[in-house]
Amino acid sequence: MQRFNFPVIQPDPALEELRAELQAFLREEREAGNFRPEPECWMASSDPEFSKKMGKRGWIGLTWSSQYGGHDKTALERYIVTEETLRAGAPVGAHWIADRQHAPMLIEHGTEEQKRDILPRIAAGECYFAIGLSEPGAGSDLANVKTKAEKVEGGWKINGQKIWSSGAHISHYMVAILRTSPADGRNRHVGLSQIMIDLSLPGVTIKPITDLSGDAHFNEVYFEDVIVPDDCLLGEEGGGWKQVTGELAMERSGPERFLSSYITLETALHQLQGKLGSDSQARLGKLIANLRTLRGMSWGIANLLHQGVSPETEAALVKDLGNRLENDLTLQVRALLNDLPEDEWSDEMRRILNIGILRSPPNTLRGGTTEVMRGITARQLGLR
Amino acid sequence: MINTEGMVAETAAKIYTDLCGREVPHEAAAGQYPQALWDALAENGLPLAWVSEDNGGFGADYDEVFGAIWVSAEAASPVPFAETLIANWLLDRAGVAIPDGASTFALLDGNAASVPFAGTADHVAVYDASKNAIALYKTADASAADGQALSPDSDTRLDFSTATPVASAATNLSRRAVEALILTVRAVQMASAIEAALNLSIAYVSDREQFGRPLSKFQAIQHQLAVAASESAAATMAATQAASALARSADDPEKAWHEAVVAKVQIGHSVEAVTVPFHQVHGAMGYTQEYDLHHYTRRLWAWRDTLGNEHHWSKTLGAELAVTSPDQIWKGVTTGAWIAS
Repeated sequence: MQRFNFPVIQPDPALEELRAELQAFLREEREAGNFRPEPECWMASSDPEFSKKMGKRGWIGLTWSSQYGGHDKTALERYIVTEETLRAGAPVGAHWIADRQHAPMLIEHGTEEQKRDILPRIAAGECYFAIGLSEPGAGSDLANVKTKAEKVEGGWKINGQKIWSSGAHISHYMVAILRTSPADGRNRHVGLSQIMIDLSLPGVTIKPITDLSGDAHFNEVYFEDVIVPDDCLLGEEGGGWKQVTGELAMERSGPERFLSSYITLETALHQLQGKLGSDSQARLGKLIANLRTLRGMSWGIANLLHQGVSPETEAALVKDLGNRLENDLTLQVRALLNDLPEDEWSDEMRRILNIGILRSPPNTLRGGTTEVMRGITARQLGLR
Repeated sequence: MINTEGMVAETAAKIYTDLCGREVPHEAAAGQYPQALWDALAENGLPLAWVSEDNGGFGADYDEVFGAIWVSAEAASPVPFAETLIANWLLDRAGVAIPDGASTFALLDGNAASVPFAGTADHVAVYDASKNAIALYKTADASAADGQALSPDSDTRLDFSTATPVASAATNLSRRAVEALILTVRAVQMASAIEAALNLSIAYVSDREQFGRPLSKFQAIQHQLAVAASESAAATMAATQAASALARSADDPEKAWHEAVVAKVQIGHSVEAVTVPFHQVHGAMGYTQEYDLHHYTRRLWAWRDTLGNEHHWSKTLGAELAVTSPDQIWKGVTTGAWIAS
C-alpha cells in the first residue's frame, strides 16, 4: 500500500486548446503594454481593468453554474487558467481570492439572494474579496483570533482587527473568521464562525501596510461596531474552524504555491538562451526536473479535487515543497545570470529579479507557515 | 502512484511476502542466497514479463511490471529481479534467445562497463551503442575489477575485452530508448526504497524513547521526517510520471527519455535529502548491519549512480533545455511533451 495518493494525469487536448487561447490573449495584452509581468502577481499585482477583461473572456467563475454568471466548466479548466496567468505574471490579484475561495464558499453557504447578487459580479471581474483570517495576535495560530461578532437584533455586531488582508483596499467584501462565542478552555477551536462583511459599511477602516518591495497590497482592517445582517453568517455558527481548514486544504495545492516566481525564470531564459555554461546547465536541469515533478503532484491533486476527494496531507506536502521551490527558483536564476555580463541584462530582467527577491519572504508564510505544514504532515504520519 | 494491481504485480507481491521476509536480505548479505525466492519468481515466469510471446515470454504491459519492481524494492530484493527484467527486455528487442536463470545488464563504454549484481547473475546483456548491437555474455567470462561496493548488489566494473559472447545481434534500439527503460526502472526502485525507509524511520521513532518520551514526540524529529515524506511523495510522482510515459510509448521507448531523465534528476538529488534524516533519527542503530535501514540507504546510494550520477543527468537535461525555447520548456513542465511536435 503506497503512502501518498498522487495520480498521474495525462494532458487533455481540450484543455490544451484553452491553454493556447490564454497564451494568445496574455501575449497580446503584454505586447500592447497593458501590463508589466511581475512575480507574486496573484497577491501583489491588481488591475480591475484587466480583471474585467478576464471576466469578459469567461475566465473567472469557470466552475459555477451559468445561473449565477458562471461558465459550468470544471476545476481542471480553472487550473489551466490559473497556471497560464501565473506564468505570464499577469495582474490577476484583484479577482483571484474571490474566484478561488469565496465564490465556492458562497455557493455552499450563501443565501439564494447573495448568490444572485454577488456571484455574477465576481465572474464579471467586478467584485473582489479579501481574506480575513490573520490577526496581530494570531498569525498561523488561527484558533487565537480575538475579533468578536456579537449577536444583536437582526444581525451581528463586529469589533476587532484583521491584518495581512491582501487587496482589502480594493475589495468589496471580506470573509472573516470571528469569535462568536468564548473559547472553551480545552478546545480553542470552538466558537469560531465565518462572516461575510461588506467593507463599505460604517465602522470599517482600512489601512495599507507597505511591504519590502514598496507595494501596499496588504492591509490592516479595523471593525468598530460594524453591523452586518444575519444572513452574512456563512455556514454554521461555531463551525468556522472546520470550514476554514477545509478551505485551506484546497488553496494549498494550487499552482500559485510554486509558480509565483516562474516569471523570473521565464524572463531569464529569454535572455540566456544558448548562453549558459556547464554549471548553469546543471542548475537549470535540476530546477526544471523539480518543477515538472511538483506540477505533476499539484495536477494530481487538482484531479482528485475534481472527483470530490480532498487530500489534506498531499496538499500540505505540495505547499511545503512548492514554497521551497519558488524561493529556490529566484536564487537559481540569480546564479544563472552570472553567465551574462551585467550590462547585457535588460531593465525588465533586473526589475523582475529584484521584485522577486523582495517579495519572497511571504512565500513560506501565507496559507500556513512551513512549520505548520510540517506539523500537519507529521500528524498524518502518526507522529503527533 | 505506481500501479501495483494486475496479475504480474500481484503475483510478485505474494512471492515477496512469502519468501522475502525481513531476515532474507540479511541472510543474503551473509552469503546465504535465497534460491527459493528466485525459483518462485522464475517458475511463475516473472523475469520474462517483458519478453514477447514469440520469444517465450508473456509481453506484459509496462505498467504492471513496474508494480512488481516496486514490491521487489520494498522487500530489498537480494535477487536480481529488476536486472533480469531489463536484460531480457534488451535481448528480446534484439531477437536473442533468453537464457535461463538470473541475468543483469550493462551499457558498454569502450571495453568495460558497470554491472549491478555482477557476482550473482549468470549472464549479462550488454548494449553497445557504438555498434548498435546487443551481446550476451556469461558473467564469469568477463574480468572484474576490485572495488569497495556501496551495496552488495551494486555495480562492479567488468571488462569484456577478452570475453567471447554467447550470442549477439544487431538492434535498432537507440541509446536513449535503453536509457529510458533503465532509468525508469531505477526510479521506481528508488521511490519504493525511499518510502520503505521512511516507514522504517516512522516505526523506529515511535518506539524508541529518549529523555523520557518517544522520539516521535520531539518537534525536531517530526519536522525532519515531514521533509523526508515530502521528498518521498515527490520521488513517487517522478517515478510514476516516467513509468507512465514509457507505458504510453511502448513502441518507441525513446519518447519516454525526457520523463525518465526528469525522474533520475529529481530522485537522485532527493537521496541526500532523505538518507541524512533517516540515519539521523535512527541514531547509532541505523549504522549497524544488524538493522534493516541500510538495505535501503545503501541501495539508494548505489542506484543514484546508475548510468551516471544526478549531476551528470542534471547537466545533460539542462544542456538540452538551454537551447530550447522558453515556450517549449513550459510545455514540457506542464504537459510532459518535451520535444516540439
